[in-house]
Amino acid sequence: MDEAIKNLTMRKSFGKSMLYTLPMFLLTFILMTGGRPDFSDRSGTIALLTTFLGLNILYFLMHYTGKTDKLRAILFIVFALTLSFTLIKNTIDIRQTMTYSQGDILECNMPFCHLVIPMLILPAAFTQSIIYPGSILGGFASISAMVVLWLAASVILGRGFCSWGCFYGGWDDGFSRFRKKPAIRKISDSWKWMPFAVLLMVALTSALALTPTYCDWMCPFKAVTEFEEVTGIESAAKAGIFISLFGGFVVVLPVLTKKRTQCSYLCPLGAINTLSNKVSPFIVKIDKQICNDCYKCVQACPMFALTNDDVKKGSVSIFCTKCGKCIDACPKQAIHYGIVGVPANRMVKFSRNIFLFVSFLFIAIFASGSIITVVKSFVNLFI
Amino acid sequence: MLDSFILGLSSGSTCLFTCGMVIFPYLMAGTAGTRKIITDLSLFLLTRFLVYFILATLAFYFGKVIFTSPVFRNYISGILYMLFSGMLIWYAISRSRKPDCPAKIVETVHNRKLVPVFLGVVNSLGFCPALMLILTKSATEGTIVQSYLAFLGFFAGTALYFIPVPLAGKIRRKKVFETIGVMATGIAGIIFMIKGLTSLIGGIIYG
Amino acid sequence: MTAGLIWALCCLIVMIMLYFALGGLSEGFAKLPFMKLNPNTNGGELAQQVVMDNCTLMIRKPVFDGLLRERNKGFVQIEWKGDLPGKINDTIDYNMDSSPDFVIGIIVPENQVNLVALNPKVRDVGISTSTSYGWAARINIDK
Repeated sequence: MDEAIKNLTMRKSFGKSMLYTLPMFLLTFILMTGGRPDFSDRSGTIALLTTFLGLNILYFLMHYTGKTDKLRAILFIVFALTLSFTLIKNTIDIRQTMTYSQGDILECNMPFCHLVIPMLILPAAFTQSIIYPGSILGGFASISAMVVLWLAASVILGRGFCSWGCFYGGWDDGFSRFRKKPAIRKISDSWKWMPFAVLLMVALTSALALTPTYCDWMCPFKAVTEFEEVTGIESAAKAGIFISLFGGFVVVLPVLTKKRTQCSYLCPLGAINTLSNKVSPFIVKIDKQICNDCYKCVQACPMFALTNDDVKKGSVSIFCTKCGKCIDACPKQAIHYGIVGVPANRMVKFSRNIFLFVSFLFIAIFASGSIITVVKSFVNLFI
Repeated sequence: MLDSFILGLSSGSTCLFTCGMVIFPYLMAGTAGTRKIITDLSLFLLTRFLVYFILATLAFYFGKVIFTSPVFRNYISGILYMLFSGMLIWYAISRSRKPDCPAKIVETVHNRKLVPVFLGVVNSLGFCPALMLILTKSATEGTIVQSYLAFLGFFAGTALYFIPVPLAGKIRRKKVFETIGVMATGIAGIIFMIKGLTSLIGGIIYG
Repeated sequence: MTAGLIWALCCLIVMIMLYFALGGLSEGFAKLPFMKLNPNTNGGELAQQVVMDNCTLMIRKPVFDGLLRERNKGFVQIEWKGDLPGKINDTIDYNMDSSPDFVIGIIVPENQVNLVALNPKVRDVGISTSTSYGWAARINIDK
């Protein structure tokens, strides 16, 4: 049995890990430099090379150590922090404040983020138009580019987007790692359906009001990006709501539960991405022949995607974000990345290699821009 | 009308999954075909519509008598909104919530032809927090047309769920839909709670 | 099993190509019929343009767009582009029937706005705000 487990370990030798990292090394270099490296700017070069090396070291370590989640989380959290920094910096550079005014909305120059997508679908279908005051094409975070990126990532990664692509997820992922043990353990399983209720409400209210109501009223991440100027009771109420939701769902609850509560209980896009898990070829599989029902994976899962019943049945629910935490937590290596249609315990290493390559490439390039910006800002402080 | 429709839509799903199981068997029992189901369903919805129409009229005139000044209206409606939305939220999160429907009383009706009408009356008069919220809204509207529109929105939102009645038996994973519906009701409660709070604060500041 | 593997390999190829093709894909996506801003968002089409001393007054078409049909309540957006005087006082005929519909007065430094409705369909000021190009206002109107 131990020999079988040894065979299943995802660790690779140094040379083999280097070999697996090589394609990522080349692709990230080409994509980050645009194929034409320009080293004329000193701080830019330092930022580029630091980011490039950092990313590839993480990817190398995923192969070398055989572990996924902690290394992914480093990049995921750094992505969230640097993106917020970049967005706030941009906003302050343009408007000298983190707030936006009615004028910015009327001028339709609000940066677009993927959380708006659930609110666009019904109005786009019925009115053949977009209700978000952003740029359709061109400029910073255009609607078109963001939708294409999200669409591709969701089809390929399914809800894996929530752990490998969403630049907000790193916030509650980070806070969920603060404590060693959760202070709150018993939470009703039915709360995981909450994002669907939020989705229903925001999709309907946005369609009927023809304004993105989640962005207007609920989005907790306004606390780390930009928010509406407080000019009256309504805008004060909005500020109170987003601050409370950020404090509650992104900071306090993740710390107390060790779960990603914003992503699990609030995010309407998470509900759509849950459904996209049905399309993605990549899934997490449980090998019931090896599993000893210790349920360490259930405790480890940050998304309420695994219950004792799921483990007994040998399948992971559609709420899985493929973060790899359960895989790393399993003492028997009974859980692994797999491909739809391929039975559990078959092509285990191949499945992991291909999933890691696809998901890491997506987040690495998506995150590199903001990481470079932040590193460059820091380098400029010293040079 | 928009918020009434949303409230109807969110609480309607709960209404469907709690009352539906009582209402459907009576509406469909002993029927020979779709035509009879449609007739009974139409009668049921028409009764609900009429009851709401009467409620809207009563609420508006009752509101006119009580809410004599706009500031008073802000205070009272704010407090009522908060009270009923609090009940709505409690309903959504309460573990002791029982899926009981007032329409169960239909068992006492012996005239089968009257059943859809009776169910329509009982169902629309089931004084749930959502209906109380709409009554408050209707009572504080400026004109009677706005009061009717508030109820019309609520009626439309709730009625949507009753239209596919003949398909009700075929819905899989009813529990999941009910859970989502109850949660949506809770969110609607929060929306009205905020509405009440802003109305109350608005009354205090600008009163 | 084979279908799953083929699908996974297709996804691998798409992911490698995604960032290279992002520009083209975004441009293609932007050309889809629904990829245009809703009039409620961008203020609607430009209807009239009046060139004044230091700035240009732009009046957009009234917007009544709803989800399924036109609403009874809407707005008309007006913009002043260029160097704004301290006080704006303009008479607007938004429906182009040659009779003025409202007079709008704005004291720019104090962000004060005053509306005099000359047409019973004109209700109130929805938004009045400074913009990067000057000033914009949305006046709520009935159909």
